[in-house]
Amino acid sequence: MASKAGDWRNYKRVLLPPVKDLHRLDVYEDHGGYDALRQALTTDKWDPASVTDEVKKSGLRGRGGAGFPTGLKWTFMPPVNPDVPRFICCNADESEPGTFKDRQVMEYNPHLVFEGMVLAGYAMTIKTAYLYVRGEYADWITHMERELEKAYAKGYVGENIMGSDFSMDIVIHKGAGAYICGEESSLMNSLEGRRAYPRIKPPFPAQKGIWNYPTTINNVETFAHVPLILSKGADWFSSIGAPSSPGPVLYGISGHVNRPGVYEYPSGMLISDLIDEVAGGMRGGKKLKAVVPGGSSVPVLRADMIDGVTMDPEGLRDAGSMLGTAGMLILDQDTDMVSFLRRITHFYHHESCGQCTPCREGTGWLENIVTRIDEGEGNVKDLDLLIDLCSQMEGRTVCALADAAAWPVRHTITRFREEFEAKCRPSLVATHVESAAV
Amino acid sequence: MPKITIDNRIVEVEDGDTLLQSCLDEDLEIPHFCYHPAMSAPANCRQCLVEVGMPRVDRETRERVLDEDGNPVIDFMPKLQTSCSMKVADGMVVRSHRTSELVKRAQKDNLEFLLINHPLDCPICDQAGHCPLQNQTYKYGPEGSRFEFRKVMKPKNIELGPRVVLDGERCINCTRCTRFTQEISGSHQLTIIERGVRNYPMTPPGVVFDEPYSMNVIDICPVGALTSKDHRFKARIWEMSQTPSISTTNAKGSNCVYHVKDNLVMNVTARTNMDVNEFWLADEDRLDYRKFNENRPEGPAIGGQAADWDAAYAEAARLLQSTSGQRVFFLGSALSTTEDNYLLARLAEHLGADAPAYIPHIEAGHGDNWLRTDDRAPNTQGCERLGFSALDAEVLKSRLAGGDIDVLYVMEDDPVGEGLCELADLEGVKVIVHHHHTTNETLPAAAVAIPAAMAVETVGTFVNCDGHAQRLRPAKAIKGVNRTLAMEVGKSRADLHGTPFDRWYTESNMVDCEPGWVSIPAIAERVGLSLSYKGPRAIMAELSEDNPAFTGATYDAMGESGVRLDVTHQPDTHTQTA
Ligand SMILES: Cc1cc2nc3c(=O)[nH]c(=O)nc-3n(C[C@H](O)[C@H](O)[C@H](O)COP(=O)(O)O)c2cc1C
Ligand code: SF4
Ligand code: SF4
Ligand code: FES
Repeated sequence: MASKAGDWRNYKRVLLPPVKDLHRLDVYEDHGGYDALRQALTTDKWDPASVTDEVKKSGLRGRGGAGFPTGLKWTFMPPVNPDVPRFICCNADESEPGTFKDRQVMEYNPHLVFEGMVLAGYAMTIKTAYLYVRGEYADWITHMERELEKAYAKGYVGENIMGSDFSMDIVIHKGAGAYICGEESSLMNSLEGRRAYPRIKPPFPAQKGIWNYPTTINNVETFAHVPLILSKGADWFSSIGAPSSPGPVLYGISGHVNRPGVYEYPSGMLISDLIDEVAGGMRGGKKLKAVVPGGSSVPVLRADMIDGVTMDPEGLRDAGSMLGTAGMLILDQDTDMVSFLRRITHFYHHESCGQCTPCREGTGWLENIVTRIDEGEGNVKDLDLLIDLCSQMEGRTVCALADAAAWPVRHTITRFREEFEAKCRPSLVATHVESAAV
Repeated sequence: MPKITIDNRIVEVEDGDTLLQSCLDEDLEIPHFCYHPAMSAPANCRQCLVEVGMPRVDRETRERVLDEDGNPVIDFMPKLQTSCSMKVADGMVVRSHRTSELVKRAQKDNLEFLLINHPLDCPICDQAGHCPLQNQTYKYGPEGSRFEFRKVMKPKNIELGPRVVLDGERCINCTRCTRFTQEISGSHQLTIIERGVRNYPMTPPGVVFDEPYSMNVIDICPVGALTSKDHRFKARIWEMSQTPSISTTNAKGSNCVYHVKDNLVMNVTARTNMDVNEFWLADEDRLDYRKFNENRPEGPAIGGQAADWDAAYAEAARLLQSTSGQRVFFLGSALSTTEDNYLLARLAEHLGADAPAYIPHIEAGHGDNWLRTDDRAPNTQGCERLGFSALDAEVLKSRLAGGDIDVLYVMEDDPVGEGLCELADLEGVKVIVHHHHTTNETLPAAAVAIPAAMAVETVGTFVNCDGHAQRLRPAKAIKGVNRTLAMEVGKSRADLHGTPFDRWYTESNMVDCEPGWVSIPAIAERVGLSLSYKGPRAIMAELSEDNPAFTGATYDAMGESGVRLDVTHQPDTHTQTA
């Protein structure tokens, strides 16, 4: 399969353009900043419904990991009722290992996010927006607070934005260091000052969100695309990259490559192009062993599985993985897959909120067993037990964290089984006793 | 009403109900832990998983799609669903563990997870024997465990407050307790702390779990994580009999269960009655049980000297006839059953005395609009409906001082202890006392003292502050031998958690006392009045016929949940919940 990213070598960055000090409001304005918003609020070009329509038409899919069509999500909001508050929320909790692209947008182009949020607020007739950002991003929080203040002073946010009768506030809310707060319903509980336990769905946020009022939650990068779609047009956006999931994508590349970092390119890039050219090839000339293409929770791909595989939902589904957050972990030949998995199981064990049984109990058990194998004390039958436990967790919990914890275990073991068996204790006696099935 | 199919059985269900509740209502058990009918469903225990399908609907015609045999085509959801959070819908098809291997397997898997970090200290756990985790593990759980690691250690023996103790390791994180304080009592005194597998409920910093309803969380905790500081380690559930009855601490008449071992009340827990207390019971109702065990009298006395029952009855009868009826003052009791008060009124009438009065037991400011009332007596309404009036201290004192009273007949109360008169005021008055306790302060003045059975030892009816008439059942046996009582004891002491080999009969701790419906007829007979009824059931049958304030209050009608009496006869006393 060929790249779906077209002439990506000549791609011009739009989310993170090479403009010095773009995070400063004056520089942002000089480069067309808040023009889309001005058009929407002060001309007849965009009424709220047509903003949503344009986003729908662009084919933009959420960049928070699930890839849900953004315009469609916005239409789930119930009709406006002046007596019922409604909210939008920007999910900047970015905590999945291997994912660090939202940070980049917040650092280099925060006004693009604010503008996208105000446009979304206009499209859905919303007066209050929250930006829920992980507390560890302390530097970028102060940085954004400072820029937001400037946007308020210039009338891009707040009362009667740009002299129109549309008003919207943006409230920056700091998280306190839990991965689970990135799950949208848990985020809403956390925002309300409750314990960050995910809620059962339905009801979905558009029905019962923050304070049980209609709410739309999108990822930082998702919002950042909105002003670009309005100023350059849905057709421009949908012509970029893979047709089924078009637009620019921030690829976060980490691991054993020469130039790890966040790279903006069209969707549908070949994994091999991203590694070999964009990220400067494997570090120290080593051989590639595995790629985790979309954040630590998606199934790992062996080096022999990535031939011709493109970074878009369909391409990765066919290859046996998922796009997730497009945060790619690149692992070279020296990587010990058992200890790699051990670190991942540790993460999900540490981050399970503990609300539901299979995840609360299963994540720790997984880590226990993988650790034992990593230390050479495991038995081969542990591998089957691990797969069994994954089946006992997947699809049986309140939120998707249990799936996120189980998939890496299932797929790393099935795709690197020999490596796991090699680390297990050799079986000394052939036993004829069948272990009791549980 | 929607129709759904559960395990090939078609049932009609209540619109808006959850699937789990509908199954439970149909007596189709689905294992579950976190669901409680009175609270929100967080669906966190994941035990109640079932397969759920819906009829396929044609997009254009909105009609159900049928297969070749004319049956609706059912599309099953790809994942198992938690029945506690799923609302029923017409045409829904459900497969539980009875018909689905997948569900059976999922339930087993979930229990395996629940048990890996559970301490499995059932042999020393108060919940063992009536533990949903234990019971459901036996029924639906795995045979063994594949967990070979050290269990997570959590804090144990933590006093969350003065009455509730937490064992964090036993907790399965169902959040019933925290939801109780958030959604039911509103105290917000409990929350879950820590994260993941280290989670357990705790009070927020600086907060003590001391709300007056704190002990309800012990009832609803599906494991032995929350125990009663008062009761823990005192008795195993299977060593006790369980009697459904009524609390006596206030005028609400909350329904409760008395747990009795060797004729001693050991514990009191909530019993569901949606018309009275729903699922809940105030802490005071649970802790005020020692009065049934301690300071109980041992047989009758005449002039302070032990006497036999016949002699005591004869002496009481003699005293009652020693003067004119107008000079006998009868005190009924808001602590006694309606039946006993009614018999007393009949005796008073026979002797030509005024109708009995009763001592009000009001503690202003105690009530809370929920299950606690200012009135600390259980049957004030019963007395009022019988036409008794609340006794005014001044009236009694002045009549005593004026020498108007020759005989004071006190049924199951304590005018001296309640401050209505002093022992000195009773000099020269012949006092007949039916008493519950040797600490009764009127006793020193008693010419005849007759030990009376208490609410846990008798059969009778209390009317609560809202006019709800409810039956008392005997939870413990007394020495007095009586066929009616013996039969009622046999019927009401359900052996819910024991084995067929348990023997409840024991002579130990039996109190030598009699119910009013035995002792009052015995005295009445000796003054020429026959009050021979076939037990309290017959007394109540007569009252419900003759007195409109008790219409409908037959034993059969009252059953286990009581009967709401006609409000037009509801006297306007200050005892109602505000
Ligand atoms: C365990 C878990 C963690 C998540 N963390 C994040 C996160 O850090 N940032 C994010 O944008 N979405 C995260 N999500 C996805 C959100 O729930 C939600 O789908 C997303 O914010 C929607 O935005 P989008 O439609 O723009 O992608 C997480 C989901 C799960 C299950
Ligand atoms: S799946 Fe895990 S993280 Fe998600 S709600 Fe359940 S316990 Fe919490
Ligand atoms: S203490 Fe009991 S009621 Fe509370 S969360 Fe734990 S198991 Fe549930
Ligand atoms: S009872 Fe349904 S998940 Fe707990």
